[in-house]
Amino acid sequence: MSKLIFNRRRFLGTAAMTGAALASPAYLRRAHAQGGEVNIWTYNDFVPEAFKKQFEAETGIKVNVRLVDDQGKQFNLLAAEQPNPSVDIMTVAGHRFLQFIESDLLAPMDTDRLSNWDKINPTFSESDWSTINGNKWGVPILSGMEVLSYNTDLVTAEEAQTWDTLFSEKYKGQTAYIIQDMLSIVMLMKGYDGNFIEYADDHEKAAEIMAEIQQFMIEKKPLVRKYYDSGAEIQQMFVNQDIALGHSWNGPAAALINDGFPLAMSIPQEGSYGFVYTLNVANNAPNADNAYTFLDAMLSSPEIGAAMTKASGFISTYKDSAQYLTDLEKKSTSFPEEQLANLQFFRAEQNELKYGLMDPAVEAIKAA
Amino acid sequence: MSNEAASRATQDVDAHTRVGRTFWGRLSNWSPYRALMGLVTASPRRQFLILAIFPLLWVLTQHLGPMLQMVRVSLTDAYPVAPGVEQHFTLDNYARFFGDQIFWQPFFRTLIFAGGFTFCTLILTYPVAYFLARHVSRKNQMLFLLLLLIPFWVGEIVRTYAIMILLGNTGALNLVLQSLGLIDRPIPFMYTSFSMGVGIVYLTALYMLLPLYSALEKLPRSYNEAAADLGAGAWTRFRRVTLPLTIEGISSGCTLVFLISTGFYATPVLLGGPSTTTFAETIAGFFHVAGDEWPTGAAFATIMFFAALVLTAVFQKLMNALRKGDTK
Amino acid sequence: MNRGNRILLSCVYWAFVLYVFVPLILMILMGFKDSKFIGFPIKSWTLDWYTGIFADAEILSTLGYSAAIAVLATLISVAVGTWIAVLLEGRKFWGRTAIFGMTVLPALVPGIISAIAFRIYARYLGIEPGMGAIVWAHAVHNVPFVVLVVMARLSTLPKSQLEAARDLGADPIIAFLRITLPYLVPAILGASIFCLLLSFDDFVRSFFLGGYEPTLPVLIFAKLKSGMSPEINAIATVALVLTAAIGIWAERFTRRMNKDTKA
Repeated sequence: MSKLIFNRRRFLGTAAMTGAALASPAYLRRAHAQGGEVNIWTYNDFVPEAFKKQFEAETGIKVNVRLVDDQGKQFNLLAAEQPNPSVDIMTVAGHRFLQFIESDLLAPMDTDRLSNWDKINPTFSESDWSTINGNKWGVPILSGMEVLSYNTDLVTAEEAQTWDTLFSEKYKGQTAYIIQDMLSIVMLMKGYDGNFIEYADDHEKAAEIMAEIQQFMIEKKPLVRKYYDSGAEIQQMFVNQDIALGHSWNGPAAALINDGFPLAMSIPQEGSYGFVYTLNVANNAPNADNAYTFLDAMLSSPEIGAAMTKASGFISTYKDSAQYLTDLEKKSTSFPEEQLANLQFFRAEQNELKYGLMDPAVEAIKAA
Repeated sequence: MSNEAASRATQDVDAHTRVGRTFWGRLSNWSPYRALMGLVTASPRRQFLILAIFPLLWVLTQHLGPMLQMVRVSLTDAYPVAPGVEQHFTLDNYARFFGDQIFWQPFFRTLIFAGGFTFCTLILTYPVAYFLARHVSRKNQMLFLLLLLIPFWVGEIVRTYAIMILLGNTGALNLVLQSLGLIDRPIPFMYTSFSMGVGIVYLTALYMLLPLYSALEKLPRSYNEAAADLGAGAWTRFRRVTLPLTIEGISSGCTLVFLISTGFYATPVLLGGPSTTTFAETIAGFFHVAGDEWPTGAAFATIMFFAALVLTAVFQKLMNALRKGDTK
Repeated sequence: MNRGNRILLSCVYWAFVLYVFVPLILMILMGFKDSKFIGFPIKSWTLDWYTGIFADAEILSTLGYSAAIAVLATLISVAVGTWIAVLLEGRKFWGRTAIFGMTVLPALVPGIISAIAFRIYARYLGIEPGMGAIVWAHAVHNVPFVVLVVMARLSTLPKSQLEAARDLGADPIIAFLRITLPYLVPAILGASIFCLLLSFDDFVRSFFLGGYEPTLPVLIFAKLKSGMSPEINAIATVALVLTAAIGIWAERFTRRMNKDTKA
């Protein structure tokens, strides 16, 4: 706790120093005349408190943050509010775009209104998943990935080089994974395309593959301790030593590492998937102008990106944000080049095919 | 309550209404009030209507309304409706349940678990309620009851995580057992039906305890004494006197617990294992995953709801039969 | 009474107390752990989580907000529930079973379904999300519990009392206020505790019907996203101590009231 406060204070101080750069552009002065408010749905710790205060002070725009805890609830809530949402900015993961876009819940992102758009690492801003129907839909802020996390007292780095370890007799009853995410990873393990792009024109083949994967997962069911849902759950399983290794997102694992727990992550050789959290402007947003002002201000300094990484454990999409991290934080949010080469992003194009096959498979595996 | 109390109460009313010095007396002599009362009580029929109109409106608009919305959604093919899409009536969402066996397993598991946990809760809480109602002096009963209620002020999630650090491999229970030398390696309590049961009984105990307590508390102690005078042993007294007279409390406690436990979501998801998926989890999946699954989720919820209701009705009938059989 | 039985029963009672309190004690303990995660072993202790909470205006206002919602919702539930119970208990009329069925309905619908149904219905009725909407949903959801508890108590009210009062010329309202209501006080108190608990702990309805101000469970869920930390345990402990203090005070207070009226 004390560490957190210290970091925050430091951030406030330096943010005030760099504040001149932040306050000078004309868009802020214009906004100041407007005042008003901006409504945001986001996860805890995604919008740094210090940044929020500074933004409010400099623009006169009141920032209302509504904390959410998953994508599905944001979707349901927004759907229930249509066609006149109360929200301006939401937090959606890139590969979930399509669901929101098809239900007409998001407005296309006008990147010309964001003077700081080029401060984002192009790996994220210009990636294959980020353009749908010829438009950009969100501002990438944090990147997550599917990793193999392991207790370094119990599992060797070598064993963690392959997803097979997760299904080995040796660790029977000491593993856990998110079943939906694991289906895509097992497809990679078996040499298939977990994004289903390759099977866009061959639905029969896709169904065959999914049947094979489902069979594999059911066979391996006696080995797993828990199918879990949230990051907090796997953290607790590691702390309680209920498991020795598991599939997880990098954010929750990084938080454990930063707290001194003997944990490490790897992107195994068979490969894995990454995803990006983006901030999106809602269709018919009541304060769209303020939303753009907010997004542009948020992108203005890599230090803001670093603050988000510190709080969440996810990797910042900002150029040069790593220089503001401590060594431990750098370690918990970076991977060797050869491992990163195995990573690809989740794609949304074939989501209908993918989830149409996956959701029943998940039910079947759980029921088996 | 006795005739003595009744007569005291009537004396009260008597005195106040006639003398007209107190608030009540003045109120009933105040002419606008009398006029109003005259209107309200003109006939028993009017009196009943005035009493009934508000509850009727309330349950129709507030209780039935949301449910009807859900049933309506369950009969459509798309919800929420995207612009430009037309909504159609369909029974497919119900057909989906009956057409696919993978949904039956969590469904029946939920009903069986709910029944089992209800029974466990009853067995565990009955002696507690009995002790409270029969062996604790009336003065202290409220205090002892409040003591049991304190833990329920902690939210479900925080409490569930506390159970995790109780039952985990490095949890408190394993630590204690290890330090006592009873075990060498930690016992994996977590993510089994056992850990799930511990969590669920925690959630349901309150709903069982209160009806049982109020049923036992009403039971005159003299009955038992009379039976004892007649030479009945403790077990016989319990079986022939206490149990039949508290069957109403048992029945309402079990009904409440059963119905509520079919809807549990967070605790089974967090404490259960790979093979304890409940139907609530299945239903919630339809609301988390994608928009066009709302109708399916709503249909499944409707099915679960009616199944639980039918089972409860059967159970109530059974209990009634039991009660009648006993009094014969 | 058999002595052995009595001792056995009291053992069962205290074992039960242990069962409900051990997780609670663990929770309180973890609020003092110097780490971002709860669990054993505890290497060092700290009070920072508590000082953090009392320095954080948002957490404190969330506590107050949740408490205000719980109290308002409970008042409405108790008023409506008592009315319905008086209508239903001991009266035979056409449609009684139907009304009873509808009355208990909200208690039986699974949480997520009921939340979404309320959200859709709120929009249909034009209720804005926020405190009012949460109070409304909690109140409706809690009415069945009040009805069940009050009906159980009402069924034991000696009919002779009411009849006697009527014979002496008391009109139905005065008879209700002077005889029925005082008789119902224990049931109403019990039901209120129930309602307060249900409302205070509700996440899913509060989430769907809330605005930008979180209730306590909503805040806890959001914080849980970044891990179950000692901070959450400390928040829960503060809430627990406050409510327990109010509960004990209320118990003392009613006890003193009882004494005064007897004297």
